[in-house]
Amino acid sequence: MFGRLLWRLLRGNRGRLTIALVAITAGAAVVSALLNMEIDVRQKLGEEFRTLGANVVVSGRGSGDAALLAAGKTEQAIQSAAPGGNAYAPYLYVVARTAEKRPVVLAGTWLDLAPALTPWWRIDGAAISSRDDANHCLVGRNVARQFSLSPGSSLELHYGENSARWTVSGVISAGDDEDDQVIANLASVQNLAALNDRIQMIQLRLSGAPQEFQKFSTQVESAAPGTEVRAIRQISQAEGNLLGRIQLLVLSMSVLILVLTGLCVLATMAALAMERRADVGLMKALGGTIGRVVTLFLAEVGVLGAAGGVLGYIAGAALTVWIGQRVFGAAISPRLEVLPLTVALTVAVALAGALPLRLLGRVKPAVILRGE
Amino acid sequence: MALLVQVEALTKVYGRVRALDGVTFGVESGEWIAMMGPSGSGKTTLINILGGLDTPTSGRAVVDGVDVARFDEAGLTRYRAEKVGFIFQQFHLVSYLTAVENVMLAQYFHSMTDEGDAKRALERVGLGDRLEHLPAQLSGGEQQRVAVARALINHPKLLLADEPTGNLDEANERIVIDLLRELHAEGHTIVMVTHDASIGGLADRRIELAHGRLEQITSYTPER
Repeated sequence: MFGRLLWRLLRGNRGRLTIALVAITAGAAVVSALLNMEIDVRQKLGEEFRTLGANVVVSGRGSGDAALLAAGKTEQAIQSAAPGGNAYAPYLYVVARTAEKRPVVLAGTWLDLAPALTPWWRIDGAAISSRDDANHCLVGRNVARQFSLSPGSSLELHYGENSARWTVSGVISAGDDEDDQVIANLASVQNLAALNDRIQMIQLRLSGAPQEFQKFSTQVESAAPGTEVRAIRQISQAEGNLLGRIQLLVLSMSVLILVLTGLCVLATMAALAMERRADVGLMKALGGTIGRVVTLFLAEVGVLGAAGGVLGYIAGAALTVWIGQRVFGAAISPRLEVLPLTVALTVAVALAGALPLRLLGRVKPAVILRGE
Repeated sequence: MALLVQVEALTKVYGRVRALDGVTFGVESGEWIAMMGPSGSGKTTLINILGGLDTPTSGRAVVDGVDVARFDEAGLTRYRAEKVGFIFQQFHLVSYLTAVENVMLAQYFHSMTDEGDAKRALERVGLGDRLEHLPAQLSGGEQQRVAVARALINHPKLLLADEPTGNLDEANERIVIDLLRELHAEGHTIVMVTHDASIGGLADRRIELAHGRLEQITSYTPER
């Protein structure tokens, strides 16, 4: 009988309840779209930020040889402070000389990873995919012009008594310092300069909030004394701040929308409560406890909230896809885990909006049945 | 016959108004009582107290061995579900429930619903072909018959009718009165408020109230 009464209640008041349902559905649509985006925006922004390359530099304090770091120990400190595959590449810079005794900056690094951390490089020729390739190098466009180098050319550099020879694999156009550098395999540069296991800095891409950067910085500096961790171009800070602001925006918008939805339900339920005084008076006269009567009405509101939540989720999914394409140029996939959260929120809001039903507890059947 | 209802020095005061003032009478089981008197004489207040819809200021109203005045809110609710059946002048049916569902509503608040019983109750009052009609689709007389079926469905000890024919035309009035006569003949105890002396004359006894006091008790049938 409970289900039958519930069905009749929903049918019997469909005019007013439709208004409440529309309000709940609209609120749920926006909230579920925001929740979908909140989940997806981290990934989307992460991808966007990754195109900006490395955002943190770990270097030695001081200057000259004193600033050189022990590569193994520093890498170990980075891996333990930021586990989970944050990309990084060590660098060693020396000033070598050509056979004609002309100086040139030679950078040794992991050539398989360095381009990923400097995505603005444009390489004419071939990139170097193996970290262990000691036979090839990349040259900056200014160096290439200065020494008439092109892919396939041979380049011999000297440092003190040592010398090394590479074949140019590609010419870099970076619009930055790399345009004036020769970039080669780290180990071969270390051998040339007789600086085994020594590096000047490590560039890495660290994702997360500003406090995560702080934590990383403290851990690395204490695990590898003499190191200094800096955020480059303020990207780390900006990324963390932006994610934090987006979360705050989503949260405050969701709360605001849910409050407005609740107010709309409240207004509808207040009107319904007034209309139902006679029914409640009669039900009480027939021996219905107020708990049983109000449970019936709350179930009605709960069904309304759940239906609004499901409909809103569906509408919100479409809204999510549309916003994703408009804002990010790629569809954001609606998340199924948002559905129970949306339904729970709308049911809670609908029940909160049903507060006026409490007034029904004060209904005196004798007064109502007299027609007052 | 045993007394089903025993009212002793029943008083109800609303502010400065004494709606009932020391009323005392008894109703035997199976008796039909017509409660009469001018407007404001306390008839409805008395029937509300007997039905557990209101509580007296002082005095006793014992129905089926229990004093209604001593119940708390939960006790009154249970009492209304189990001991009394109401028939109101305004019918008071739930507009979005069908005839059979209106009857089942009383079953629902009493214990368990039984649609078959509810249908039989409606067939008994001549509404076998109106089971699935909403109140708006029924005439006034039909609505009142639904209310009668609803009042009877839980087999109450006491049937309370407040101006049951007050909103009906002559033809429907006759149908409802015939129903009450049948119920009386079957042994139901009925306390009915009415202004109509001819309807009041159908009862076993007429209790007249004026200004909250018992004015007169007239017996139309030989003492049982």
